[in-house]
This record gives sequence, C-alpha cells and structure tokens, in this order.
Amino acid sequence: MDFGTLIAGILTLAIYTFLYKDNPIYRIAESWLIGLSIGYTLVIFWQTTLVDNLFNPLFGDGKLVMILPLILGLLMFSRFSKKISWMSRIPIAFMIGAGAGVAIPAMLYARTLKQVSASVVPLLGEKGAFNFEALVVVVGLLSTLAYFYFSREHKGIMGKAARLGTYFLMIFFGTTFGYTVMSRMSTFIGRIDFLLTDFLHVIK
Amino acid sequence: MQTRIPLLVCLISGVIMFAQYFSSLPIAKSIYENILEWWQIIFAFTLFVGVAAFIKTNLKSISQKKETPYRTISLIGLFLMPILALIGGTKIDSPFLWAFENMQAPMQATVFSLLAFFVASASYRGFRARSISASILLVTALIVLIGRVPIAELISESFPKIGFWIQNYPSMSARRAILIGIGLGSMTTALRVILGIERTYLRGN
Amino acid sequence: MFLIVVVSYILSIPFDTQPSPEVQKAFDYIENLPESSVILFSFDHEASSLPEIKPITLALLRHAFRSKAKVVGLSLFAEGTAIGYRMMTKAADEFGLKYGRDYVFLGFKPQHISAILGIGESITRVFPEDYLGNKTDTIPIMRGINNYDDIDMVITIADGDRPAQWIEYGGARYNQQIMAGLTAAMITSYDPYLASGQLYAVVGGLKGAAEYENLYGKRGGGNRGMLAQTSAHFYVIALIIIGNIIYFRGRKQQGRG
Repeated sequence: MDFGTLIAGILTLAIYTFLYKDNPIYRIAESWLIGLSIGYTLVIFWQTTLVDNLFNPLFGDGKLVMILPLILGLLMFSRFSKKISWMSRIPIAFMIGAGAGVAIPAMLYARTLKQVSASVVPLLGEKGAFNFEALVVVVGLLSTLAYFYFSREHKGIMGKAARLGTYFLMIFFGTTFGYTVMSRMSTFIGRIDFLLTDFLHVIK
Repeated sequence: MQTRIPLLVCLISGVIMFAQYFSSLPIAKSIYENILEWWQIIFAFTLFVGVAAFIKTNLKSISQKKETPYRTISLIGLFLMPILALIGGTKIDSPFLWAFENMQAPMQATVFSLLAFFVASASYRGFRARSISASILLVTALIVLIGRVPIAELISESFPKIGFWIQNYPSMSARRAILIGIGLGSMTTALRVILGIERTYLRGN
Repeated sequence: MFLIVVVSYILSIPFDTQPSPEVQKAFDYIENLPESSVILFSFDHEASSLPEIKPITLALLRHAFRSKAKVVGLSLFAEGTAIGYRMMTKAADEFGLKYGRDYVFLGFKPQHISAILGIGESITRVFPEDYLGNKTDTIPIMRGINNYDDIDMVITIADGDRPAQWIEYGGARYNQQIMAGLTAAMITSYDPYLASGQLYAVVGGLKGAAEYENLYGKRGGGNRGMLAQTSAHFYVIALIIIGNIIYFRGRKQQGRG
C-alpha cells in the first residue's frame, strides 16, 4: 500500500467516527478538509482564470483594456473598508446585470416555451389511437401549475385541480426520493470499495 | 450616488447583454465577448474576497482563543495547497494533485457518504403513510427503489417498465410544471433586477 | 447497514442488466460517431460524488476514445478540474493516446454561464491556455475547433445544475447537442429536458454506469456495486415497511384506548 492510500484510508475512517458521535478526530479531519478545499480552489481560480485571462493578456500581450476588469475586480476588496465599502457594489452590479440580461432569453426559450411546446402533443395518433401518456402529461402539468397558482383561492374546480396537482407532485417527490436513496447508497458503496480494495486489500 | 452608480451599471450591463441577443452586428458581438470575459475575471476575484474574509474570521477566533486547534488546522490546510502548487505545479504526480487525490477528495466523498445513514434513518423514522398524499409518495418511492436494481427484472419484467412509466410521464409532468414556474419567475426577477426594482444584491457590505 | 453493504460488496455477483432507453441512446450515438468527431467533456461535479461519477465518466471516456473521437475536456466546477484531468489521462493511457494530439484538457473557468456562452463565440478566447499552460491555438487537436459549430456533442458529467445551464445557454442559443452523465439524485430533475429533446440522452447513477459498461463490453465500478446497491435498497424498503407497520399498530392501539 502506498503512502497516499494509507493517508486516504486514515482520513476516511476519521470522518466515519462521526457515525458514533461528534468527536475531536472527526473535527480535526473536517477542519483539515475545509482548509484544503479553500486552498485548492484558490490555486485553480488563480491559475486558470486570473493568470490565463487577465495577467497574461495585460502584462504579456499588452492588452491595456484589461485594466478595466482588473480595477473592477480590485474594487471587490473595498468591502473591507467602512468608508468605501459601497464601491464593491459596482462589480457586483455589473455581474448581476450581465447575468440577468442573458437569463431572460434563456429562461423564456429553454424553460418556458420549449417545455410548453413539448407538452402540446396530439391526444389522437395518426391512426386514431388514443395517446394516454400525452393526456397524463397535460393533466399533470396543468394541475401542478394550478397548485402553484396562489393568486386565486383553491376552491371549486381550482381546488380540485390543485388537489390533483398535489398528487402529481407526490409522485415526483416519491420518484426523486427513490433515486436519492440510490445515489446516497452508491456514494457509500464507493467508499466501501476503496476501504476493502485499496486500503484493507480484502478484495483484489 | 452610493446606490445610483451600481444601479446604473446593472442597467447598462443588463440591457447590453439582453439586446445583443437580437443583434448580429460585429460591434454588438465584440462588446458581448468583452463583457463575458470581464464577467469571468471579476467573478474570480469574489473567491479571493471570500478567502480574505475566511482568514480574517479565523485569525479573530484564534486571537479570542475560540476553537483554536481547529481554526489553526484549517488555516494550515488553506496555505498548504498554494505552497504545494508553487513547489511542484499542478500536473499529474505533483504534490498539489497528490494532496487533492489522497486527502481532499477521499474526505469529501466520505462526508457525503454519511448521508446514506441519514437517509436510512429518515426512511425508518419519518416515512409514514399518514394520508393519501403520503401514501402516493411512499408507493412511488418503493416502486422506484425496487425497479432500479438488477433483481427487479428477475422478480418481474413489469417492475422496471412501471418505474420508467411513472418517471417519464406523471413525475416528469410535475417537474415540468415546476420548471415552467421557475422559468417565468426567473425572467421576471431578472427584469426587475435590470430595472432596479429588485435591489437585494446591493445589501450586505 | 454497514454490514449488509460490506458483505454484499465482497460477494459481488455480476448481473446482466437490460440497458434503459436513454443509456442505449447514449451508447449508440458514440458508437456510430464518424472518426475524428469532436466531443467536449465537461466535468461539472464535486469530489463528493466521485464514487458515483467515476464509473460513468470512465465508461463514456473509454467509449469515446475507442470510437476515435477527438476529446476535449474542461471543467466548470473547481473540483472537477483535477478529477477530470486525472480520469482523461487514465482512460487515454489505456489506448496509448497522446496528449495534445488525441485529447486535451483545457482547464477550469469559474463563471460557468460566461464560459458556456463564450465557447459559442470562441473557445480559445475563453481558454487561451490549456490546463498545462500551453497556448490553446498551438495545440494540434484544437486546430479547426473554434466554437460549437465544430463540436458534435457536449457531454456534461454533473451532480448539480450545470447540465441545465448547458441546455439553457449552449443548447438554446447555439443549438448545441447536450448529453449528460448524472448522479442518480439529479435524474428526475432532467426528465423534462429529456422528454422535450433538449437533452439528447442521460447516463444516470451507478445502475446507468453498469448498463453502459455491459454495452461497452468491459465491466467496471458500476457492475461491481450492483449487488451491494440491491441489498441497500431492500434494506431501506424493509425499514420503511417496518416503520409503517409499527406506526399503524400504534394508531390502532390508540384507537382502542
């Protein structure tokens, strides 16, 4: 077993001590993980974005226009000073505005129009065969939307539709729960694989 | 001025990024590409602000002798990774990648795998058929849990088929409704942000 | 639960699982790719989901390399960077492929929406250098790959909402085809995109990885975990049933009292 696998195994078992109860060994491992994660992200952000997209074009290729994003980026640090902390709002506003601007057509097309058009499917096929699945989708969609429509009281037909929507939502949540259990178990099985195969050599 | 300038910046960047979607002019494309590039760079700075705040908070806690060992360990880990990257780079077989693969990744996967136990515990304690809705949720979950393992095909060929049918039609339709609702909500929120009606992002300095 | 999973993992009986339609569709697409097609792999996941993600990623990468596709890798999640790089080199080494000529890893960009939109205009502008510091426009494999027009498929390996952004920005604006390798917990979130055709296909969870491995012809992490997965599922089902029996018996007794 190489040293890296030994360290990985020890740290894995340290985290698993939490299953008994919160303890100093777990907390040390957790603190170490937090520090490493932030340090790792720091390196990756620096190398892949600031160096590649800012410093190299600005100082390497002489692209002086890159001074503007540099200034905007440095303005973010003004939040540490009480006097000029308002200036950090400028780069934030720039990013928020840009994000909002591109989001409008994206949300309209991909999440709304395309989804609605995919739901509008003929209920009768070419040879007159009834498309039951299409009916289920339309009924499910409309009743769930009725449930989320809070501008009108859920009474009468609206109430019945909202109730039906609740049942469709329960089907969705049940399906999601089933898959979530599957996912969590898979993650646990992965760690068991590491412990049994690489760390303890119980399995080859 | 402290509010007006940011609102103006938000309006300008928002309108430009929205309008360029409908323009094929070379100048629009050039401005669009520049904004995308600047957005990327400014976003990277936000991490460094976060790291500075993290270091400040931890040093303050250490000076006040609150959870000193744990805070110190976090700070050592934080500074270790850049030092390793400076020493050996970030390629295959570098100390930086070694630390990530043998310390960070295993610990992160293990922390996440603890959820398996919480899910099992929650299933026993909380999953009750108290009402029609809860019963529907329960039955659907059971069908999916059985249907998505290889043994399901041995029990009955219908099990996986029923599971897929539920997933692809009634479950999908509910999720679609949620997506449409989110899409409409996101659009209106984006419009409100650009027009300066929504200002929550200006708080918290 | 620990014991059940450990014992069933040690026993590890192989299963022949029928592939689901989405996994079959994903497999058929890569299998029928013309040589030198370009596939962009985006590693958009955290290290925490590695046990689930790794079998899916390796199966897809191996298949892409076997189909002699040009594979370009990148990451829109910081942790996916190191993991993606390692998995690409591991899979490529199995086929004796050369970095720069047959595959390349471009690295990471933090602002994912900006990156997805930027690739639609110029990939070298978003990634002027690759992960190893080489100028992107000097890398042999990158010649002729400028934007989405030159990319046949984007495969996003994710444990969160990155595929949705690929669909909403890359797919909606640039008509880029998107495929996803997902953790099981995220599968239901993407069913509407699958149904509408905005997502071409999905390989989801450890079961999806096992199905893909069976189609590919080389069993790996996906298949190894299937008995343990089955046991864990039945354990949870047993807990739910027992919990409900106790609940209803308690309610009955309360009714009598």
